Amino acid sequence: MAVIDIHGVEKTYKGKIHALRGVSLEVHDGEIFGLLGPNGAGKSTLVKILMTVINASKVSGTFLGHPIGHRPSLKKVGYLPEHHKFPQYLTAIQVLQFYGALSKVPKPIRTKRAYALLERLGLTGWEKKKVSTFSKGMRQRLGIAIALINDPDVVVLDEPTDGVDPVGRREIRDLLAELKTEGKAVFLNSHLLSELEMVCDRVAIMVKGQMTMQGTIDELTRESTRFEINVKGEVPDWAEQTFDDVRGTTLVKHGDDTSQLQSLIDQLRATNVTISSIEPKRESLEDLFMRAVDYIDNPGSVR
Amino acid sequence: MTFKALLIDAYRQLSAAKLFWLTLGLSLIVVLAFGSISFNETGMSIFYGLGTIESDMIHEGSPWARGLYVGIYSNFLVTIWLSWIATVLALISTCTIFPEFVKSGAIELTLSKPISRIKLFFMKYVVSLLFVLLQVLVFCVGIFICVGLRIGEWNWAIFGAVPIVTIFYSYLFAVCVLVGMITRSGIASLLITGVFWMLLWTAQTAELALNRFSVGERVTIESFEQSVLEQEEELNALREKSPDDFRIENRQKRIDDMKEDIASAKDTFDKLIVWHEPVRIALIFLPKTGQTIGLLDRWLKDDSGFDIQAMMRGDMRSVEELEEFDSTTRFARKREASKRIHDDYSTRSLWYVVGTSLLFEGVILGLSAWFFCRRDF
Ligand SMILES: Nc1ncnc2c1ncn2[C@@H]1O[C@H](COP(=O)(O)OP(=O)(O)OP(=O)(O)O)[C@@H](O)[C@H]1O
Ligand SMILES: [Mg+2]
Repeated sequence: MAVIDIHGVEKTYKGKIHALRGVSLEVHDGEIFGLLGPNGAGKSTLVKILMTVINASKVSGTFLGHPIGHRPSLKKVGYLPEHHKFPQYLTAIQVLQFYGALSKVPKPIRTKRAYALLERLGLTGWEKKKVSTFSKGMRQRLGIAIALINDPDVVVLDEPTDGVDPVGRREIRDLLAELKTEGKAVFLNSHLLSELEMVCDRVAIMVKGQMTMQGTIDELTRESTRFEINVKGEVPDWAEQTFDDVRGTTLVKHGDDTSQLQSLIDQLRATNVTISSIEPKRESLEDLFMRAVDYIDNPGSVR
Repeated sequence: MTFKALLIDAYRQLSAAKLFWLTLGLSLIVVLAFGSISFNETGMSIFYGLGTIESDMIHEGSPWARGLYVGIYSNFLVTIWLSWIATVLALISTCTIFPEFVKSGAIELTLSKPISRIKLFFMKYVVSLLFVLLQVLVFCVGIFICVGLRIGEWNWAIFGAVPIVTIFYSYLFAVCVLVGMITRSGIASLLITGVFWMLLWTAQTAELALNRFSVGERVTIESFEQSVLEQEEELNALREKSPDDFRIENRQKRIDDMKEDIASAKDTFDKLIVWHEPVRIALIFLPKTGQTIGLLDRWLKDDSGFDIQAMMRGDMRSVEELEEFDSTTRFARKREASKRIHDDYSTRSLWYVVGTSLLFEGVILGLSAWFFCRRDF
């Protein structure tokens, strides 16, 4: 079942900024979905539309089985906005209590949960401290705790690792994986590609308000799966036809068929070619990302 | 649960502000000063006995003492302290509530909760009045105790100031919220609310002054016309009795003078009406801050009329003495006019005073709410 299933989302801000141009995406039950895109792509805009913070110019589809803008269903959604500012006069526990109450979590439950979450996010000892004394990374952790105070079915995180140190990032990644095992769907925004690569089941790339690719990382990079055989000395003439690509002394064969690879090696060895290395290669998320950005800038140039 | 959470949050926000405690401290000083006035058999003492004033009329148990003491509260403490100084302090401390509320980074999370925006807006508005409510409540408790101890009257009507001042404050705060919502700036909303308040005050003062003048002219016309009738009757009687009386000429001249005065008063009256009517009509649609605060005085008044305003009008004389008066003297006319003015404002209906003001507030709030609901944050 899809927890988020939207299509044709359009948003034009006042001042004629066309932030979203017909975006469609689907987030499934219990998966971690990463939305990437360069600055100003419209990621936060999309998230804000889901969270009813802004109104879409055009939208159809569902969020937790209800049309976008259905407020009661937001009870089961957790949200971490970007650049959040929590009330400075409150302590960490009070902030959690406040937002928990707005999400209609009964008091005894939210008190217990608040302490547990602060511990889980490494903020033990800071429960009774004023938010104004928190560092940026600590605020970010508190923000994630707030997103989880209502025990949501879907967690929407806008750049969760923004301002967090490497140790913290790792902890957040582990937390996301834990959330997944608890059966929650996670929808996150980021431009930290390596991070997304590590945790996401599926990703979508958005550039200039348009979705360019969507799928599992495996699906998106499969096409680029290849073996690269480096040889010493001369490249035999027949290689041009047998291999998909020959770049200098590097022979490239697309696909991941290893049995086919064996016969190619045999052929090379039969003609006394010295093989210095054989590497399975696959496009990284970064390559994919660059390609997507390029594609929008000069459509038709790549692929 | 949402409302309670917002209420607790509003309290925490207020109590984190120094100005809240400063205002409360000043309130306490005012209450202590008020409590320092006491009455004994021979008069009254102030500052806990530091100064004493001997008086035949104002002493322990006299109706004038009650009128004075309660009057100081309803006429000075409420109008000067609560509805001026404390209100300015309250505006300064609450003008940032809405700009902070809709500040980017803070509003997103609140809007993403399962509460409709319109509900959220009105709840936030109501809890924002907490500052004033709390301050006035604490103040009234102090005054209630003072009045109880000093003149032995445990008067619950003193707490009438709580709703009255809160409602009065809400007229201004609604404007503050609208500006804050549009500009997202506390300073801008404070300044514009201040200007609005000044304009309102000017309009009301102008209306009062014009009203006073035109009532004054009307009283002159009425009393002179009455007097002319009486004198003409007397003159006719005199003419019949002794047509050659030497007083006839004199009296006739006096009547003619009076008629001239009436004509000029009528002329002035007509001119005043041209100015008074538009201001009066405009005020129907605007919040009536002064008259709202004035409600308290009505509620606290002693039926016998021994109040501080009567003292100030010069009513502090025995009633028999007044009846001897010639109604055409300048003093009598002035007294009559100010009595009429007082009666005019103190008999206006609650619906007129509060209802129309709330209507104005409702329109302003409706605008803000509409803006809040439609806006992309
Ligand atoms: N409130 C607003 N009013 C007008 N334009 C806006 C507003 N918010 C965003 N935009 C515009 O919409 C576009 C998308 O912005 P958005 O914040 O969604 O980007 P993003 O993908 O989240 O970027 P980043 O990675 O920098 O956070 C940008 O061109 C931005 O200028
Ligand atoms: Mg963003």
